[in-house]
Amino acid sequence: MLTLDALSVRYGKHIALDNVHLRVDPGETVVILGANGAGKSSLLKAISGLVTPEPGVSITLDGHELAGVAPHRIPDEGIALVPEGRGIFTALTVDENLALGAYSRRARAGEARQRDFIFDLFPRLAERRKQIAGTMSGGEQQMVAIGRALMSNPRLLMLDEPSLGLAPVVVGELFDALGRIGASGVALLLVEQNVTISLELAARGYLLEVGRVVGEGSAAELKEDPAVRQAFLGLNA
Amino acid sequence: MTLTTTLIAGLVLGGTYALVAMGLTLQYGIARIMNLAYGDMIITAAFAAFVVQALPSMNPLTGLAIVVPGGFIFGYLVYVFLLSPLVKRAPDKATLEVDSILTTFGLLFVIQGVLLVLFGSNYTSYTFLNVPVSIFGTTVAANRLIALVLALTIGLMFYALLTRTRWGTALRAVAVSPQSAKLVGINTDRAAAVAFAMGTALAAAGGTVISMYQTFTATGGVVFTMKALIVVIMGGVGNLLGALTAGLVLGIVETTVSTYLDPGLTLAATYTIFLAVLLWRPEGLFGRRV
Ligand SMILES: Nc1ncnc2c1ncn2[C@@H]1O[C@H](COP(=O)(O)OP(=O)(O)O)[C@@H](O)[C@H]1O
Ligand SMILES: [Mg+2]
Repeated sequence: MLTLDALSVRYGKHIALDNVHLRVDPGETVVILGANGAGKSSLLKAISGLVTPEPGVSITLDGHELAGVAPHRIPDEGIALVPEGRGIFTALTVDENLALGAYSRRARAGEARQRDFIFDLFPRLAERRKQIAGTMSGGEQQMVAIGRALMSNPRLLMLDEPSLGLAPVVVGELFDALGRIGASGVALLLVEQNVTISLELAARGYLLEVGRVVGEGSAAELKEDPAVRQAFLGLNA
Repeated sequence: MTLTTTLIAGLVLGGTYALVAMGLTLQYGIARIMNLAYGDMIITAAFAAFVVQALPSMNPLTGLAIVVPGGFIFGYLVYVFLLSPLVKRAPDKATLEVDSILTTFGLLFVIQGVLLVLFGSNYTSYTFLNVPVSIFGTTVAANRLIALVLALTIGLMFYALLTRTRWGTALRAVAVSPQSAKLVGINTDRAAAVAFAMGTALAAAGGTVISMYQTFTATGGVVFTMKALIVVIMGGVGNLLGALTAGLVLGIVETTVSTYLDPGLTLAATYTIFLAVLLWRPEGLFGRRV
């Protein structure tokens, strides 16, 4: 479904991503593991059009070229991003955040159905519809961010470190919800440093190190990969 | 003057402040342009209303239907041709702020020059419904009452547009986070142009309303820019209801001071409030709600 070929991103002289290849199949959940500064956020931003990749890249969704498409046109292509740090509209209410999630043309028809799905997924949001989103707890704000992204009725949902800064219990609840979203047929491309929980959710993954893919495989394979074990689990291979 | 008269006069003035401050807060909060030519856009609209109301079978009220859309178009063109090149090349917010201040400072003199050539430097006014009306036991000129009602109606209409529609909510979302606005599919470049144009339309509505009950001159724009800026900061940048309320408060304070103390102290009172707000409530009187 999503295919990335020869993706390179640079900021001035600094090369953040170097010739990355990656694919996500329909309905699949894929995780990208990598330490701070590995280039994970740059990768998701490149797909969303927020950073411009080096020439020669190809980013396609079902054969449709996305490189060069303006960021505000990406939701209409069926791709939604929950950015690092959530990026919710803090001064607006939960309802307004969700309504804006359905701003793109693609989202309008199924808006009511998506909202029902989100309230079923996160009952807390249904209770807090009029609350200013910036006054909610970290976990609730992450729910708003995911809900807003889902409102666009995406075929591919990308999440940038959704577990960051949240208590383990909250992370568990959040990943349960992500599992349900994946089961509903939406493909997930997840960026994480929390290896254990994301390898339970994902079917496949990639390991990113300073801008290069240094490992890939099924979740089971990655769990046993010495590089992953050493880099993240603090275990010696 | 009785207390009621003062209060009504204060509300009339304050309603005008509220209206124009909403426009400035849109331009600064959403388009991120600090528009020093804002008051001159108000004055331009006052002159436009002066010309339009003199046309056969027109009056200042029907004139609004020409001047306000005209303001929108003018604002849109100024943004697209003068400001959007600055936005495109600015590496960060601070640079855009400095560039836009310098550019609109230049625009101020261009507008003023054109007005001086067209209308001269004399005070201008026209008579519109200058008849006394009795209300709450005092008499007020009908044109002032109409000015108040218009200011509040137009202000609340724009407020409803921005808060009750998805389109308006999208504009406010750009003020909160331009990057996230893109992620949900909002064309932030166009949103900025539209917000700037809407701000200019509000300036045009304000200018028309002002022309109904006040004299004005080609060089009088600066005062309106300052007043609008003060009201915006009092209300909290980007806060529409804050601008509305702060405008009314400032109008009443100014009228009260000039009636009961000394007209010469009006400006001093204005700036005292302004400084007090800056010192103790820099986020505005009403907090941060957009
Ligand atoms: N806007 C930017 N300007 C300059 N360098 C950047 C910018 N964004 C990211 N970088 C650099 O690019 C590298 C990759 O960053 P990022 O994609 O955010 O990594 P990750 O999300 O894996 O932590 C880092 O070295 C970071 O410092
Ligand atoms: Mg990151």
